Amino acid sequence: MSQYIYLVPLFPLIGFLIAGLGRNVLGKTLLGWIPSMAVLASFVVSLLIFRDVQHMDPEHASVVVQIYNFFHVGNFSVNFSFQVDQLSTLFLLIITGIGFLIHVYSIGYMSHDEGFGKYFAYLNLFVFNMLLLVLGSNYIIMFIGWEGVGLCSYLLIGFWYKKKEYCNAAKKAFIMNRIGDLGFLIAVFLIISRFGTTEFSEVFRSQAGIVANGPFILAVTLCLFIGATGKSAQLPLFTWLPDAMAGPTPVSALIHAATMVTAGVYMIVRSNILFTIAPVTQHIILMVGLATALIAATIATRQNDIKKVLAYSTVSQLGFMFMAIGVGAYTAAVFHVITHAFFKALLFLGSGSVIHGMSGEQDIRMMGGLKDKMKTTYYTFLIGCIAIAGIPPLSGFFSKDEIMMHLFTNGAYGKVFWALGMIAAFMTAFYMFRLLFITFFGKFRGTHEQEHHVHESPALMTMPLIVLAILSIGGGLIGVPEVFGLGEHWLKEWLEPILLKSELAHIYINELSHRGELLLMAIAVIIAFLGIILAWSVYKNYDAKKQNKGIAKFLEDKWLFDEAYDNAIVKPTFAAANVLKTNVEEQVIDGAVNGVGKLLHAASNRLRYLQSGMVGFYLFIMVAGIIALAILLFFIH
Amino acid sequence: MNIIIASALLGVVLMLSGVFLNHAKGKRTLAIFASIILMVVAVVDVMQNTNNTILHFNGLMATNSFTAKLNAVIAFCSMLYIFLFSNEISKVGLNDAEYFALIFFALTGVFILTSYQNMFMLFLGIEILSIPQYILAGSDKRNVKSNEASLKYFLMGAFSTGFLLMGITLIYGATGTFDVSKMALMGSGEPSTIALLGILFLIVALGFKASAAPFHVWTPDVYDGSPTAFTPFMASIAKVAIFAAFIHLFHASFAGLAGRWHIIIIAIIVLTLLIGNVTAVYQQSVKRMLAYSSIAQAGFLLFAVYSLNEISQKGILLYGASYMLATMSIFAVLIKMKDYTFDGFNGLAKKQPVLAFAAAIALFSLAGIPLTGGFFGKYYMLNGAMQNGMPIWVLIFAVLMAAISVYYYFKVIQAMYFKTSIQDATEPDAVIDVPFKVMLIINTALLILLGIYPTIVTIF
Repeated sequence: MSQYIYLVPLFPLIGFLIAGLGRNVLGKTLLGWIPSMAVLASFVVSLLIFRDVQHMDPEHASVVVQIYNFFHVGNFSVNFSFQVDQLSTLFLLIITGIGFLIHVYSIGYMSHDEGFGKYFAYLNLFVFNMLLLVLGSNYIIMFIGWEGVGLCSYLLIGFWYKKKEYCNAAKKAFIMNRIGDLGFLIAVFLIISRFGTTEFSEVFRSQAGIVANGPFILAVTLCLFIGATGKSAQLPLFTWLPDAMAGPTPVSALIHAATMVTAGVYMIVRSNILFTIAPVTQHIILMVGLATALIAATIATRQNDIKKVLAYSTVSQLGFMFMAIGVGAYTAAVFHVITHAFFKALLFLGSGSVIHGMSGEQDIRMMGGLKDKMKTTYYTFLIGCIAIAGIPPLSGFFSKDEIMMHLFTNGAYGKVFWALGMIAAFMTAFYMFRLLFITFFGKFRGTHEQEHHVHESPALMTMPLIVLAILSIGGGLIGVPEVFGLGEHWLKEWLEPILLKSELAHIYINELSHRGELLLMAIAVIIAFLGIILAWSVYKNYDAKKQNKGIAKFLEDKWLFDEAYDNAIVKPTFAAANVLKTNVEEQVIDGAVNGVGKLLHAASNRLRYLQSGMVGFYLFIMVAGIIALAILLFFIH
Repeated sequence: MNIIIASALLGVVLMLSGVFLNHAKGKRTLAIFASIILMVVAVVDVMQNTNNTILHFNGLMATNSFTAKLNAVIAFCSMLYIFLFSNEISKVGLNDAEYFALIFFALTGVFILTSYQNMFMLFLGIEILSIPQYILAGSDKRNVKSNEASLKYFLMGAFSTGFLLMGITLIYGATGTFDVSKMALMGSGEPSTIALLGILFLIVALGFKASAAPFHVWTPDVYDGSPTAFTPFMASIAKVAIFAAFIHLFHASFAGLAGRWHIIIIAIIVLTLLIGNVTAVYQQSVKRMLAYSSIAQAGFLLFAVYSLNEISQKGILLYGASYMLATMSIFAVLIKMKDYTFDGFNGLAKKQPVLAFAAAIALFSLAGIPLTGGFFGKYYMLNGAMQNGMPIWVLIFAVLMAAISVYYYFKVIQAMYFKTSIQDATEPDAVIDVPFKVMLIINTALLILLGIYPTIVTIF
């Protein structure tokens, strides 16, 4: 079955071409359903391949399927080939499965938009590129997908391009991603210069000779991590993600919550062997992840735009994933990617349903009391909130708990990291339920017109919500810890072949006893409940008029990150540019360029005489040239 | 080998069609049919060929899998050329059957040049290719510019032929043979002045045909003056054939003396890139800009002459294919325009999206933007030269010159997509029928295919 892997990205590509070329010709029904069916077809093929991999001997389940030789120059060759193994098939299921649900949801959500066909074309192109990123068996193909998803993200953030601020958000996302991509690119060049190949299997096999923590491996892993901070919105490159909410809400769910932003995690897990021999980089990742999780969570507690809350929540959750990577718990990172994909897609789609019902209103201060008017949306949203807050037995509990365990047992300072992580988890529960209470409880605070219009979304939109809610409830079952006596941790077993070498390097010195593990879980659950209770006590009677002051205002203003970047980078750059413009550019460069230009014009003027049309003169030029060349040949060598 | 005979016979058939067929449409159909036959013959040749070199006609010609593939690529591009331009070709003048016949005779020369093994055949091939081009350049008889182009081309071509003959003679004097493969022995010992002078003269003659500076002066006048229907043939198919001949000769015969003549090739590359690109910047007419751009492109093809390795062989296939396709596309669009200046392209994207898109992709490829064949073509060329020890500054210079080329290529794209024009950009009677558009789309798709699957030209 693995040899048919090319079908998986092929279907969305065909869907993109059909929707893209037929966007003005085909009707809305076809434009919506053809791309959706393309993704469904990919999902079915992925499922078959997944079952195939499942039944194979785990050691030999990794297959590289070469589609063709991309280019071959001298000794350096790049194959256009796909890697089918436990990790990539897992991601295939997430991308195509959730992708399909979001496509269906979009048919309802975008039904009144005039750019309907264009939207679906972009969406399918995104899925194609994301599949390329995950399937590539070398860094070059991965990079092509990496750039492709960045492009689609740009196109979809700026989808309503007539609004200037949306275009600015798109540009911001693109530029921040480009900064990260440069890191990735440098890492790829370093790998090529050292190994002469970018093929994963060969790079990972030949890493044996590399000095652990040596300058080379540190440079490579740090550059890869810089790439990941761009795509996965980590400090300091995270400010684009909240702005990216300018795009249609399903896009936020698919690209900016479930799939693209986890590409950084995927890339590092894929390269886990390199990171394991660079503990210094791992420490940096741990610090960055922790700082991101904390800062983004504090910001999320004071946002008033329903999507902004979710955006900062995403940044914070991504921080958790990077914390897991930082302590070498790759399984836990992937686990959290999966459960997060379920509940965050659910929450985003739920918020989309709310926005749809409120005729485009996104400010939660204008909402309230929606739980009776939008029942399905409310209950599914509630499930998403419980899952992300970490209440058992919903999915978020298991994945977050696993990360916390690994933090706790990681070296001498592990307990400090654990405590800080718990603070972030507490805030997660708090801000999510704050959002829930303000939006769905209390009295309606919007205009009369809005109140009259509020309605539950159509079935096309609520069905995906229900499916995702079920997944958010049961998704944790793939990684139930052994302490519960329900058998082995399935995900850990599944990823074992990929992470074999790295797990060996991480023998936990103070492995927790079963009682200790249960105790930590109990603490985590209590903390989550505390967060919910606090949210209830503060926001059950929410007053929208109250202005934030002091720290709350500082948090509402997002720690002034954008202003700080503006003052520290953008404005000095412009100032320097201005100085350079008036002094260097206008005087030195312009002088030189205009000088060259004048010279060229003058030369061109002379050359015009050369191009006189007189054959005799042409021949003279030729002969002069021949004489010059003869001199070169015989007298200068 | 069959392809040489086939192209000559088809040329004769087309010539006679002028006597027997009265309708222009019939002659066109016959020409299209002939080009398909040529393609079929080329494919058969590819399938019959093994990797071994086979000698023909007592060692005058030699074929192997590389020459067969190159022939197939050229035959395919000729087919596209006839498909895209047959309407315009028959509109040039009254003697439409002869134009088609001349193109097929020129193709005979092309196929001789790709697989000659003897300098005698080199001379014949160049002349068989050139003489029809002299006539085609002047086929618009009532147009003074066309007449001028033809006469100039002929006079200067005759001049360069003198150098070609002199070069061959001198080489014969130094080695005692015309056979290309036997001259390879020349590498041993200190080369004689006669041999070096012979090589210089051959560089001059072939450089002239390839429009390398400083022997390029004829190019702008001829390309600009010739009927637009014939310029793409001269600028693409004929030029690639000349380069195939150039590379074959220097690869097979003079590789041993590379240390001596490399400096001349470097000087010519630098000069060609500089003159081609800088002068193209100042052109007002797109057609004339393309003439200079073809000089600049020749600069890149010359890297293959320097490299003499396997990479450059693949490179010439890839660069040649993408260059021919791109040239065909852009001229196919140009010929439908009323006004050949940059302003004439204003707002084309709104009125003729297919034409504008095809032109944009062709220009991307010519400029060497990734995801088009031109990118990998340039990459192979530069990489091959680097592996063969070319000084790094020449490579950097070449890349900078490619950056300049983006300026004048993108001026056209800018005009098409970002400017508006009041009047209709295309010729009122221009036939933009569905088959033409389909061919243009195929052409464009191939350019993109070469960008994502560049190894396709070297396998099949």
